[in-house]
Amino acid sequence: MKWTDEQTMEQFREQCRRQMDRPLALRVKYGFFRVYKPVLDDAPWRSFQTMAEYRAWCEKHLPEYLGFQRGA
Amino acid sequence: MSPRPEFHPLQAEEIARAFQEQGVEYLFIGKSGAILLGYPGATQDVDVFPARSPENGRRIVAALRQIGFDIGPELERDIMAGKDFVQLKAGPFDVDLVFAPDGIPSFPAAQARGRTEGVFHVANLRDIIASKRASGRKKDLIELPLLESFRLEYEKRHAPALRTATEIARSTPKVSIAAKADPPPAKRRHGAAGKH
Repeated sequence: MKWTDEQTMEQFREQCRRQMDRPLALRVKYGFFRVYKPVLDDAPWRSFQTMAEYRAWCEKHLPEYLGFQRGA
Repeated sequence: MSPRPEFHPLQAEEIARAFQEQGVEYLFIGKSGAILLGYPGATQDVDVFPARSPENGRRIVAALRQIGFDIGPELERDIMAGKDFVQLKAGPFDVDLVFAPDGIPSFPAAQARGRTEGVFHVANLRDIIASKRASGRKKDLIELPLLESFRLEYEKRHAPALRTATEIARSTPKVSIAAKADPPPAKRRHGAAGKH
């Protein structure tokens, strides 16, 4: 069965309604996880004086597939 | 770096409780904030928007140390100074302290519109979306249509729909303190005389 975009979005909205019905503890349980992210996870901490500096660092150093580059 | 243990769901709660105990002024923002409000997504980071002040910085440092973050003098100084963005990877889980999030110009305004979910202080969903939009990052732009759909469902349950900090700032006339204050008596007399 092929869904239309509208059917897909209605499915998503239904998912939103179910998730809002869940208790906070379950939202936390299913909402947070960890996987290793190259470069980003390779320093114990980092800080930037401005958000512009942070964005520039992401653009320059992070692999594109992580999605930190600015979109069109 | 050596592999760290997996993120345990209760750790998100730990940071909120530690912040509460230390009196930290903060809001969860980003996808982590949306998830706490009921967004059906998942994230690896805890994004926190703290109020920027030396006192709040001191409280943040105390709270993070309380839950096992290794915070040396240099990092402590940067948190106390409220640098725009401080990313912590040397703790039991990842935390981004975002003192100047894109698209949310004022902490007090955002705090006033925020919401409390259990022990978590969470930014208004509209502020979260505004911030995602303003960041312009690919990963955020991809998520925006879903966040907007979620917002429509969310606001059916949590009316009224509130304006974002940016919208309020844009619509508030900029009146200087000098213009608001009463003119000095001499000028007032002159002004009154001029009317007649």
